[in-house]
Amino acid sequence: MGHDTAEWVFVGIVIAILFYVGVDSWIVQKAVEEIPADAETIKVTGQQWFWSFEHPDGTKEKITLHLQKGHAYKFEIYAKDVMHSFNIPDYVVFEDAVPGHVNHAWFSPEQTGEFPIQCREYCGIGHYQMRGTLVVEESKS
Amino acid sequence: MKTIIVVSVVTLVVLALFPQIHFANAQLGQKTSEKQYINLRAEVWNEFFRMTTAAFVVGAIVSGTMIWLVWRFRESNPKNKTPTRWEKFDDPTTGTYEEGGH
Repeated sequence: MGHDTAEWVFVGIVIAILFYVGVDSWIVQKAVEEIPADAETIKVTGQQWFWSFEHPDGTKEKITLHLQKGHAYKFEIYAKDVMHSFNIPDYVVFEDAVPGHVNHAWFSPEQTGEFPIQCREYCGIGHYQMRGTLVVEESKS
Repeated sequence: MKTIIVVSVVTLVVLALFPQIHFANAQLGQKTSEKQYINLRAEVWNEFFRMTTAAFVVGAIVSGTMIWLVWRFRESNPKNKTPTRWEKFDDPTTGTYEEGGH
């Protein structure tokens, strides 16, 4: 093997790995960000210092959000006063709530139970207690 | 040379992506009674572990090459007694090394 060949093989392998990193990340990001067409829209509003939720049928909830297992949900995330961040750690839902702007996130709960909701953007003196609960119930349909 | 690089790049990419294509086809073939959605948590963690593997492979290649370079071209290596063909100075302005010099 010549002097140049080894160098080119080295460069080729590293480029191949980096190319794989780019392609694979793109595929996963596309899959993760694609919101299912049948997802129900839940309006999430953050304000100092609690979360409120609105279901498609107009039902409103504060602090506690009730959803059904096996369904897909799309969150429309609003903020009324300052920046907040809507986070459900157990389901990797994590999106900023920005005044004057609507952000989106989606997920599908696959387990029943209670899961914490929390604000992940420092939003004032009461930030630490801006918590909520996600209650996932068995599917009714 | 270019052929070797292109073939190695394409082979590695195909080998890396083949399992995903296989599983994606397997999932499409399943007849499920209820709707299935991807598990975001699983997807994100799987991606994290794949990227970690890629990072460690790149790190191993780069650091391995550097370790090999240092070991191979150390002064005490018997192979270095005679200069390689890249180390022969044809240019007189490069000077010569004297025995017992400074």
